[in-house]
Amino acid sequence: MLTTLRDLLRYNIEFRIGAILVGMVAVIAALSFVSPYSPIDTFVVPPDLPPTLAHPFGTTSRGQDVFWHLTFAIRNTLAFGIVVAAISRILSLAIGLLSGYKGGWVDRVLMSINDTFIVIPLFPILVLFYFVLRDHMSWFALAMIMALLGWAYDARLIRSLALSLKAREFTHTGVFSGMSTREVLVREHLPYVMPIVFATTMNNMNWSIGLEVTLSVLGFTDINSPTIGGMIYWANQHTALVAGVWWWIAFPVVVIILLFIGLFLLAVSMNEHIDPRSRLRRLGAGGGP
Amino acid sequence: MMAPLLGLSHVSKIFGATGPLGRRRVPAVSDVSFALQAEAPEIFTIVGQSGSGKTTLARMILGMEAPSEGSIRLAGNDIGHARGARARRLFMATVQPIFQNPFEAFNPLRQLDYYLFLTARRFGQARDQRQAQTSADVALRQVGLSLPEVAGRYPHELSGGQLQRAAIARALLAKPKLIVADEPVSMVDASLRMSIVNLFKTLRDELGISLIYITHDLATAYYISDRILIMHEGVVVESGDARTVLADPQHPYSRQLKDAVLVPDFAGTSVVHDTMEMSGTQRPL
Amino acid sequence: MMTAAALPSDKKCVASGQPATAVLQVKGLKAYYRTRHFGVEREVRAVDGVTFEVRSNEIYGLAGESSSGKSTLIKAIAAAMRPPLEIVGGTVAFAFVPGGKDLHQATSAEVAAIRWRKLSYIMQGSMSVLNPVRRVRRSFEDFAAPHLGGTGASFEARVREHFALVRLDPNVLDAYPHELSGGMRQRVTIALATICRPDFVIADEPTTALDVVVQKDVLGMIRNIQREMGSSLLLVTHDLGVHAYVTDRLAIMYAGRLVEEARTPQVFASPQHPYTRHLIASLPRIGDAAPRAGLAGAPPNLASPPSGCRFHPRCPLAGDRCRRETPSMTVFAPDHRVACFAVSGGTA
Repeated sequence: MLTTLRDLLRYNIEFRIGAILVGMVAVIAALSFVSPYSPIDTFVVPPDLPPTLAHPFGTTSRGQDVFWHLTFAIRNTLAFGIVVAAISRILSLAIGLLSGYKGGWVDRVLMSINDTFIVIPLFPILVLFYFVLRDHMSWFALAMIMALLGWAYDARLIRSLALSLKAREFTHTGVFSGMSTREVLVREHLPYVMPIVFATTMNNMNWSIGLEVTLSVLGFTDINSPTIGGMIYWANQHTALVAGVWWWIAFPVVVIILLFIGLFLLAVSMNEHIDPRSRLRRLGAGGGP
Repeated sequence: MMAPLLGLSHVSKIFGATGPLGRRRVPAVSDVSFALQAEAPEIFTIVGQSGSGKTTLARMILGMEAPSEGSIRLAGNDIGHARGARARRLFMATVQPIFQNPFEAFNPLRQLDYYLFLTARRFGQARDQRQAQTSADVALRQVGLSLPEVAGRYPHELSGGQLQRAAIARALLAKPKLIVADEPVSMVDASLRMSIVNLFKTLRDELGISLIYITHDLATAYYISDRILIMHEGVVVESGDARTVLADPQHPYSRQLKDAVLVPDFAGTSVVHDTMEMSGTQRPL
Repeated sequence: MMTAAALPSDKKCVASGQPATAVLQVKGLKAYYRTRHFGVEREVRAVDGVTFEVRSNEIYGLAGESSSGKSTLIKAIAAAMRPPLEIVGGTVAFAFVPGGKDLHQATSAEVAAIRWRKLSYIMQGSMSVLNPVRRVRRSFEDFAAPHLGGTGASFEARVREHFALVRLDPNVLDAYPHELSGGMRQRVTIALATICRPDFVIADEPTTALDVVVQKDVLGMIRNIQREMGSSLLLVTHDLGVHAYVTDRLAIMYAGRLVEEARTPQVFASPQHPYTRHLIASLPRIGDAAPRAGLAGAPPNLASPPSGCRFHPRCPLAGDRCRRETPSMTVFAPDHRVACFAVSGGTA
């Protein structure tokens, strides 16, 4: 695993750039632990100051240092994206692999449930949840809801892969060697499915973070635990752009864009590396006479 | 009388395709019956071109498809009723497959000794890794390989012939009574083909394993078969003792098949004998 | 003595000693795959010094198994090379390339000019040539019309005339590929490849994917077309039965090099190279149940091939010299070359 990462860093420019970008964002998030200001305090510094040495990203109209507030915001947003991605990956993998491999009524039942989830309009549902759970809405609750709503598309994708893997002869060899269904899925099929899972993970993170930012901007989340979307929300509440306090919006947006691009580059470069076909090429099989 | 090792009775397989105006029924296999006896191991060949139904028949015998009509019985038990893990295990301890593409038979991302050890542990009564390694080595030697040659290797590091032999070794580890081989040598180089075909004969003669050999190649069919079944579009057109049928086929399709075989005959048989003497000095494989 | 089944009566023989012009001359061709993945460099010597020529009005067969390098050789001859495959040495010269220059030195305009009109290909999978969502006629228009002066009445007439020549039903033109059987599709592909009456056709495993009954038909069609057009055909396949049926001369390839080349009847009647002899002896035949042996060992790894003669690890006649030196093709008999120390010199 480590040699893989080292190889990627050394030879793959996309991976390097992606890693640097995500690394920068992760460092910013980590700095939240040494922040001199607590994120929920307001008016701890003079408001509306443009970027200076003392306050490198300026201060908000609520008297918070943009930089330090951003460290918390990005930490929460990142954690949110990771939780959603992790849980929904597990769901879509389990359902997709099982459905594709088993076929028959298992497939039909699971896919009916799947398609129902695909059809559900996400945004209105999320807004509905907000109104129902209003006081109990935390980013963790939102993460769970989104994870439970975000697995359906990718489950179908994984299912189609599972269908083609089922037809390959090494699956039958595995079965006739005594493997149980679980063993076949995990040991034989998973390596082939991982590249897709990786691509969908980055996609999923971008989607969940984007949705969270949207909801926060509109005020539909816990506005007290800081997230990127929350910052933009507050900035809008104080009509920051009109008031000329551009740094309040600009820096969160820039950081989130860096994160998106970094994740995308990582996904693309790791995919090429993990993809069984390119792995085989590197091992020396395939291609050639 | 003991139940036959394998008995097919009026087996048919119909695939239903739904067209815009109702279902079209495509009979892939129609009314096939034959039986293999346990006391007399033999090589039973099914010959056909693409679309003849031979692969569908193989899949039904291996339990991968269920027959639409008729029954397939293994040692008296109907295969279709083998539900549940235990019944499936028992079934697989009796019947094992060899597939056409040796490069696909094993997961390209995995070292192939993994499958050997697994089969030894699940079917071969090996209790731990050391016993599994011993069993694997024994099975590999039976097919002309050995564990040191194969251990730790990935499929792409071996030739088609070696891979196919490894696949046979894996099948042997389950100690089956019947092996179903679907075009086992069609994707193997001509120079390596005969060693595998000869191996099938050895399995029958020394280990008492019956083989259902599915192929489109009449020449290798003649070389090793005891009995033969010729299929065309799902129906058996001719069957019987292999040498007799192939030497003088009766059915028009069988004749057509035999005529189409390209025979490189330019001289007398002196060439064959010359070369046989020469290759007699090599390690026989 | 030749049996009727193997040598149809219209097969012509090139009498040895008769001067024949070469349409293709390959000299010392070397083509390697050079890859670099994550800092690991590999060089696969797929074609390592191949010399032969194809004469006018003949079918020249090239036989080889997996890792013989024959597919790479075709790519090099057809100027269809892409990195990581590179020509490392040697020349490929067609008689119809202006100035007789090496095909790889020719400009892409010159190469485009000879494609289809002078040089065409018949590939293994007919589906990769025929567009599945368009009728056959459209494929002809796409491929051949630019070379025959556009679509229109004269083009249509030309196509029908060609179909009559190859004995294909012209109604096939209006069908979609999936409506035709595999054999039919391959015949359409062959008609497509030959409609401009090229001087040289490369056929790569043209009948491998077909049923035995259809195969004989299609091979007959290939042979007839060659006779009618008088062009040269390079037929590459691993199936020796196919070579016996249609080719005039046959070369055997092993591990990137030629090991034997002779007129086809000679190759089967008196093969000299140990590899050829083993190949031919191990062919099973209906009516002959005598035991046959497979060849020991495994095909060589072209990234690190054996030293000296590449066949020596598996050769029953191998001697010290075979391990040290590489045999070159020497003349054994008129029109019969062999690369083997046991045949030409000593193996000590």
